[in-house]
Amino acid sequence: MKDIVITGKRLRLEGLIFTGCFIVAFLLNVFSIVFYKTEWKELYTQLLWVICLSCLIYFLFLVLRLLYFFLKRIFVAIRNL
Amino acid sequence: MGESDIDRRAFIKQLGLIGQGSLMLSALPWLEGFAADKQKELKGEKAKIAIIGTGSRGLYHINNMLSMSNADIVALCDIYPPHLEDAAALCPKAKKYTDYREVLASTDVEGVLIACPLHMHAPITIDALNAGKHVFCEKSMARTPEQCKAMYDTYKMTGKVLYIGQQRLFDLKYIKALEMVHSGKIGEVVGIRNFWFRNNDWRRPVPEPSLERQINWRLYKEYSGGLMTELATHQLQIGTWALKRIPDYIMGSGDIVFWKDGREVYDNVNVIYHYSNGVKMTFESIISNKRYGMDEQILGHTGTLELAMGKYYPEEPKQAPGIQQFINQIEHKAFDNISIAGPSWVPETASENKGEFVVDNVKTHDGSNTTGAVGDGSIELVSSFCDSVISGKPIPVLVEEAYYSSILALLGLQAMEEHKILAFPEEYKIPYLNHA
Repeated sequence: MKDIVITGKRLRLEGLIFTGCFIVAFLLNVFSIVFYKTEWKELYTQLLWVICLSCLIYFLFLVLRLLYFFLKRIFVAIRNL
Repeated sequence: MGESDIDRRAFIKQLGLIGQGSLMLSALPWLEGFAADKQKELKGEKAKIAIIGTGSRGLYHINNMLSMSNADIVALCDIYPPHLEDAAALCPKAKKYTDYREVLASTDVEGVLIACPLHMHAPITIDALNAGKHVFCEKSMARTPEQCKAMYDTYKMTGKVLYIGQQRLFDLKYIKALEMVHSGKIGEVVGIRNFWFRNNDWRRPVPEPSLERQINWRLYKEYSGGLMTELATHQLQIGTWALKRIPDYIMGSGDIVFWKDGREVYDNVNVIYHYSNGVKMTFESIISNKRYGMDEQILGHTGTLELAMGKYYPEEPKQAPGIQQFINQIEHKAFDNISIAGPSWVPETASENKGEFVVDNVKTHDGSNTTGAVGDGSIELVSSFCDSVISGKPIPVLVEEAYYSSILALLGLQAMEEHKILAFPEEYKIPYLNHA
């Protein structure tokens, strides 16, 4: 069986992407608090929701990245024909 | 230390928790006796109490008082021997009497607790106050408005302690709920609804026909105002307490609808009390259907209180956290059907808002117990009376609140009997609230 190697560079990149997703989710929470006029303590009481939202955004971004990766491969293969 | 002392200590502790301790007590002057310094002054002393009327309610009080460290039952009085013997079995050291005047003549007695039929409340209370005794009288105050006024005047003239059995003033869930009303938590009070539904004939077993009127006194006009004096007085006090005013007009309708068994008092009543600001308080009681039980409901423009249930319902339930609302909105926009046409009229059935309890460990009862419920303030009320007997100092507010609740009940009865809209009579106004 072939080993899957995750390089340190890849880990750092994925970490950075997840951090970006977390910041987006956190900012959405801030927006929601302001928009719906709810309590500021939700900045920490709703962290579980923020983390779930971060994972969702990360997953959606992953789908887009995979799509980009496969399309790119298809285009390269066509060009090399 | 008895059970009642434990209840009382818990009451003092919770009273401190629901308000800001001394701040709370200053807003509720009839509870000042529960302040720590007052309790210290009275520690170890006992009030020598005589019980006049040892029927079901009298026995309820005796049972509670036996476990109070500030009460000593020294005399018992009743004209009905079986009741007197029942009480004597609980208090073997107490002297037995059949004439209340002999009790009042006794120098051993400092205070009397009156739990006899309504028509005897006024004569015994007035005689007792004039005899220099402190008095606890069960509600209603008296059978007629004139008697209520005479009791109030005698209380003011003698300067003795007088308590009336309005235990809601000592019930934590009511205290907290009314504090919420006065702090504006439910907004402007726009209505008060009181109801008490039961399904029983309100009769007690009679060993021989000659004792019918003596035992079932609640069913006869000579002795009782029926549902108004026995039930409504508890609930009508809420109007005075919440609105801090008395109504200007009273109207109502009463009938004997179901229990046509020779009784003289109504078994089905509906009364409206109109206040000068347009707010109405209602009282409805039917004793041939118990589906809705009993409760007092204060309706504010931002919230509703169900006092007997100890619950608060905001008009707009607390909104979900912002992030959840945001996600829900996206979800609805993405997956909901687009409505083409909706119903033009939606029936406004009650919302399913579950509300929240106003205090922890709310004790409720369904109103079916006619002698007393657990945790309804009765123990604290009687214990406070014993403290007042020891100190010799009357407490503020209680008599005035009880006076108006009894007058309101009796005026409601009069409105029903005369089929009239009654204006609150000037002669029954006392220096209190909007008539100070």
